[in-house]
Amino acid sequence: MTERIVYLDNAATTFPKPPGVLQGMVETYARIGVSPGRGNHDLATQAGDLVDATRARVARFFGAPDPTRVIFGANATDALNTVIGGLVRPGDHVVATRLDHNSVLRPLHHLAGTGVITWDLAPFDDGGFVDPDAVAALLRPNTRAVVMTHASNVLGTVQPVAEIARRCAERGVPLVVDAAQSAGLVPIDMAALGISAVAFTGHKSLYGPSGIGGLVVMPGLDVATTRFGGTGMDSTSLTHSQSWPLRLEAGTLNLMGVIGLSLGMDFVERQGVEALHAREMALLARLRDGLSGHPGITLHGARDAGADPARHVPVLSVNVAGIHPQDVGAILDGDFGIAVRVGVHCAPLVHRDLGTADRGAVRFSLGAFTTAEEIDLAIAAMHVIAGTVSS
Amino acid sequence: MAEPVRSRALRTVAGRAVYFDDEGFFWDPDDWTEAAAEELARESGMTRLDDLRWRVIRFLRSYYLYHGRAPLNRELKAGTELSLLELERLFPDGIKLGARRLAGLPNPRTCLD
Repeated sequence: MTERIVYLDNAATTFPKPPGVLQGMVETYARIGVSPGRGNHDLATQAGDLVDATRARVARFFGAPDPTRVIFGANATDALNTVIGGLVRPGDHVVATRLDHNSVLRPLHHLAGTGVITWDLAPFDDGGFVDPDAVAALLRPNTRAVVMTHASNVLGTVQPVAEIARRCAERGVPLVVDAAQSAGLVPIDMAALGISAVAFTGHKSLYGPSGIGGLVVMPGLDVATTRFGGTGMDSTSLTHSQSWPLRLEAGTLNLMGVIGLSLGMDFVERQGVEALHAREMALLARLRDGLSGHPGITLHGARDAGADPARHVPVLSVNVAGIHPQDVGAILDGDFGIAVRVGVHCAPLVHRDLGTADRGAVRFSLGAFTTAEEIDLAIAAMHVIAGTVSS
Repeated sequence: MAEPVRSRALRTVAGRAVYFDDEGFFWDPDDWTEAAAEELARESGMTRLDDLRWRVIRFLRSYYLYHGRAPLNRELKAGTELSLLELERLFPDGIKLGARRLAGLPNPRTCLD
């Protein structure tokens, strides 16, 4: 068995977590791990204070003015379901893109399949970018929202959301951004960019645990309640609370997750989003350069990642001629101790357009703790695999 | 937008009509027989399954039947005493579509279905 694990699956979940995150979660939860905002005992108040402070931290992080419009949920998928379900009405039209993850595509597909909405998908170009004009061309009088990824989880391309937001604003259409892959790597100032809502998750580049994420909603965007239950407020009424954030939060929060999210964001803020991104993109360029010369290895996207790293996150998908991506992943893991993600990465339309939908691809994704030595090991391993199989 | 549906088809292998999925995996691992494995191997370009390949197939099947899942990558390596690269080369269609499919294990369609 290979002793050391080189973990290059950070786009799925960052691993390991920064020093102090897990320990801090346990210590804080051991101290105040009760129902936040429920009842009037001091522990509940302290837990509620921690949640409120984390809402404020999240709001600041995303350039949103109102912490009460930070909604906690399980992850970005949960948040996207909350915002999509709370926005659309029968007869509405929604625009998404072919770069999107199933967290966007499946809720919309379901709503379209049940006759609630119609929808259109904007294409992406050879570089992996959506043209803002292509999005604008799909807008209709009844378009309720544009919902799209900020950064592709397959190609790593960061989409021009500011330009798309401008096109949307001209037509009075809110832009909802799936920031699962970008939050913590790309600065997101919702007010400056003109984004109406951001869905984020804590377990990727915000370095928190899995099971915590959320939705940040700008003032002026009305998102209806679609799940109902206890809130700790207005409890004598059978009508779900309509005040923010409770209108979109039902049941006891994942306090352990909120604690971990705050600690993870503390790490990100101390390191600096730009510094983390620059370091990881330098390593991605090293990986891309190390793989690009091999005739048996096909690289998807990241073509101009070296020239324009600001438009990418550290994700690189590849295929090896003559070998199934799942076998590449197994060999990397079993023989070299390198963990990557294989398959279609829950983004089926990207792979259809790349021509890789039947077998998928091998995705390398870097994190804050990835080293140059690990990248060199991955390059060497890929050369062995590609050389051995194609020889 | 078309909904992807995993399909199966009935075909006769080694004298028995058996369902296979769209990648040639046994629909039901219990339909597997040694004769079927030999026939599928010939279809893959192997004249016969030699002792080494049978050792791999028998390890995969015994592991699956005992644990209810395929071995971890490191377990496959230890159990066969082969590197995964060697396993890849041993079967013309590689590990997944070669060794695993011929052993009659379920199709590992992680993140593909």
